[in-house]
Amino acid sequence: MSRITIPIGPQHPALKEPLSLLLTAEGERIVESTLRIGYAHRGLERIFQNRNYVQNIHIVERVCGICSHVHTTAYCQGVEALLGLQVPPRALYLRTLLCELERIHSHLLWLGVLAEHIGFTTVFMYTWRDREIVLDIMEELSGGRVAHAVNAIGGVRIDIDSEHIDSILARLDDLERQIDTFLGVVLHEHTFQVRTHAIGRLTAEQARRYCVVGPVARASGIDVDLRRDEPYAVYDQLDFRVIVAHEGDVWARTMVRTMESVESLQMCRQLLRNLPDGPLAVRAPRHVPAGEVISRCEAPRGELVYYIRSDGSDRPARVKVRTPTLPSLAALAEQLQDINTADVPAVLAGVDLCIACADR
Amino acid sequence: MSLLRSLAHLLAELGRTLRAERVTVQFPFAPAELPNDFRGRVTIIEEASCKGCGLCARDCPALALELERHDREHFRLIHYRDRCAYCGQCADICPSHIIVLASELVSPTHDKDTLTQVLVERTGDSTS
Amino acid sequence: MTDCLSALFSLLIFPGFAFLLLCALAFQWIDRLVVARLQGRVGPPWYQPLADLIKLLAKEDVLPTEAHELACAALPMVSLAAVLTAALYIPVGKHSAPSFEGDLIVVLFLLSIPALAYFLAGWLSGSVFSVVGGNRSLLQYFSYEVPFLMALSGPAILSGSWSIAQITAQQSHAPWIVLVQPLGFFLALTGLIGKLKRSPFDIPKAKSEIGAGPLTEFSGRKLALWQLSLHIKTAVGIFLLVDVFLGGASIGLPAPAILVFGIKALLVLLVLSLVDVLYARLRIDQLVNLGWRVLAPLALVQVLVVILIGVG
Repeated sequence: MSRITIPIGPQHPALKEPLSLLLTAEGERIVESTLRIGYAHRGLERIFQNRNYVQNIHIVERVCGICSHVHTTAYCQGVEALLGLQVPPRALYLRTLLCELERIHSHLLWLGVLAEHIGFTTVFMYTWRDREIVLDIMEELSGGRVAHAVNAIGGVRIDIDSEHIDSILARLDDLERQIDTFLGVVLHEHTFQVRTHAIGRLTAEQARRYCVVGPVARASGIDVDLRRDEPYAVYDQLDFRVIVAHEGDVWARTMVRTMESVESLQMCRQLLRNLPDGPLAVRAPRHVPAGEVISRCEAPRGELVYYIRSDGSDRPARVKVRTPTLPSLAALAEQLQDINTADVPAVLAGVDLCIACADR
Repeated sequence: MSLLRSLAHLLAELGRTLRAERVTVQFPFAPAELPNDFRGRVTIIEEASCKGCGLCARDCPALALELERHDREHFRLIHYRDRCAYCGQCADICPSHIIVLASELVSPTHDKDTLTQVLVERTGDSTS
Repeated sequence: MTDCLSALFSLLIFPGFAFLLLCALAFQWIDRLVVARLQGRVGPPWYQPLADLIKLLAKEDVLPTEAHELACAALPMVSLAAVLTAALYIPVGKHSAPSFEGDLIVVLFLLSIPALAYFLAGWLSGSVFSVVGGNRSLLQYFSYEVPFLMALSGPAILSGSWSIAQITAQQSHAPWIVLVQPLGFFLALTGLIGKLKRSPFDIPKAKSEIGAGPLTEFSGRKLALWQLSLHIKTAVGIFLLVDVFLGGASIGLPAPAILVFGIKALLVLLVLSLVDVLYARLRIDQLVNLGWRVLAPLALVQVLVVILIGVG
């Protein structure tokens, strides 16, 4: 049987961001895959060293479009640790609220993209329409749909009043009804299942070997979630479940992410109902004493690690970012072995790649 | 049966869609409704209070603010709207609290020069 | 002289080229509108398909250097010609086509030519994506065509004639064949969805996997002709089903024939759009499985039932 090379990328309808995946196919079966990344590299880690800590908040936000808030959270947390600041509780609650809202929006976006890749355009249209509810809430809170610019070193820059809280809670109820519908589709719709069951399987052992994190790891049975294991912000005061599945295929990842959205919704409700009063930020000195810190957060795609080293000036000496997509990219080769060409977009979507994050 | 369930959802959606209005605003032929704290055009609300300290220019992540300073009575604050990320950091840091991001959209233009605005100009004339 | 004129009128205006063009554009618009509304969107304005056609005709026509130029120029025209010729033998409304015994077979054959042209276009246009798409389209053809043919032979056997006009005429004083052979109608619809490469069987042109499949490298006028032939095939396929299963223009009540025919055609189109929205796309091996393990045996059962019970 003759072999053909199918180029997925750098531009391809299945990719949101540029990535080069050269697949060698024998008929409809993939025998080899070569991955190249770096198309979205912007040299951000070098830019961080040329800007002061305050400027960097906004540049860190632009590492990724979908998980922008969690990047600033991780960065601000790190710098606050270096400065020894105590962030006021109201600020932490608002920060966490936006983290969870962002998780819902990211998972809904992802569900739509996966559905589109398996040809289920209807679910794509519905999820992206319901995602607008979350985006509207975020825009009302911060002034921006994706680049919120909410975090400051020492707290947050936004506030919320009780009327607004009530309106948000009402809309979250609507959203929960819609997410239940999608859960129904995932559980019961036959064509969705035949396109996602047993596709892109990653065993727990393989996942551990590649150090995969986030929903991909949880779908393979690895029970790890930074929000529960090493709580930051106010996660230690919230009541939530960590969703773990065991099949390790695209369907399991869909289940994990959809149910995580429901958990995030519950968390948003708890945050809004228990919002403490108080100041929104503490004053942060401009010069950060010398030292180094590792700040970790649970981004929608998994564990996000920020290493910040300061030399006593007002500019960081080094900011190193380890995004959760990187190990998922490494594990892609395993998942693409011996699968059908038609399942490649489903696998790519199932891993929820964020190349902007991975390339920085 | 899953087909009946899917059909039920679809028809419910259809009911909603048929009753819904278009959400697209035909901007700029119709006014754009901006929320109250929309981060729009960078404006100075009281030019006389500007001290020329340069904190806004120092903290701008996009390097969109530039202070040409000779001394306390001779300086110019220039804002490059095309570089601006509308993050509001300048408004946060200004010690005189005179920078405000107004609820106005900055319109695109064919003339690049209109995107560079001089926010504050102090020429040493003590009557200004 | 008048014979000649009326023949030209039939060929070019009604129910010939102009009518088919109008139907293709109208059906495309209704399909896109219904799908959009079901998906929570607004849908295009009525002139969108016409605007798309005119836009494509005006665009630049480029092909890769590896593509076989003559074949790529001829294939869309062959496809369009086959579909238009097939339309000649399908009665529309009261207008009876020039029929002869066996014209059902001829029509089915003519409607298969675009599938072959599509496959060849994939192989000859010089792109990896189109080759993969071409392979898939041929596999798909073998999966849906057999049940489709068998489902359409049920009514022929029942009516005792292989002429579409006869089958239609028979249904004006007998119950519609869809009521007698519902399984056959269901299989014919499924086969039609495969033939028209609509979701869930739009595998050869799976956008997220292989670009646009066999038509990836076509642009400009060639692509316009391809699109036109595919959309006229939609109209022709629906007309065929309405004639063979739904009794053509007959309804048992005195009503304008073209109106009755139009409403039936729109109902079939609505069902096609609904199926488009309800399901995800299948994989080619899943379709082959479905075609040979489910659809073909069912079609066999239907034909056997017709032979044993229906006739006599």
